[in-house]
Amino acid sequence: MERTFSRSLDSLGDIVSFLKGAADTLSLDEKTRFAVNMAVEELFTNMIKYGIGGDDSIEVGLEKENSQLIIRLVDPNSEPFDLTDLQAVDTSAPLEERRPGGLGIHLVKCLMDEVRYEYKNKVTRIRLVKNL
Amino acid sequence: MFEIHRVSDSEIRLVGHFDASHQATAAEVFDSIKESCSVRFDELDYVSSAGLSVLLYTQQRLSKDGGALKLTGMNPHVRLVFEYAGFDQIFEIE
Repeated sequence: MERTFSRSLDSLGDIVSFLKGAADTLSLDEKTRFAVNMAVEELFTNMIKYGIGGDDSIEVGLEKENSQLIIRLVDPNSEPFDLTDLQAVDTSAPLEERRPGGLGIHLVKCLMDEVRYEYKNKVTRIRLVKNL
Repeated sequence: MFEIHRVSDSEIRLVGHFDASHQATAAEVFDSIKESCSVRFDELDYVSSAGLSVLLYTQQRLSKDGGALKLTGMNPHVRLVFEYAGFDQIFEIE
């Protein structure tokens, strides 16, 4: 199942509702629901920050394939931003050296079993896999 | 739905779903804290990296004067996020 959302933080509420409906349909457990919600919200927020903007909506899709949950996000009008190529966040640094940058993507990588990024003709496609 | 309540000078209560769209609202309340403060998470279902950044900034600011946030009542999912972020090492979590 898939749906498109306006490029705005105001869409986050609609995304939560969509994911809840999808999770019910796919009978996902609580832990998976939380992980999916967080991964999609973080990536969607990131796409708003790093996208070109305009009226193009961002597509979010979920499907079950055997024992895996596949999550797709597609931004049709974006700048390249390879989240798989970011410097790792130092989670053991002392308080004064901590910076919030990159934390969202770090969490997505922790919560998902696979993260793939593709960029072509201004279209960003992110494919996440969560083992069930 | 997200709510943030300043219960007293030393206590904040978070309720609901704390995502990037609530960052500014939450930052306004946390910016008003001047000394050590307890933050109740028991009614909070979710916190995104935007929420974590508000807490991190506040912890860094308070620590300069010897203060700190104490976080209480997290559900297991939120607690795991704090562990993934390594925030369990820079916050007292009860």
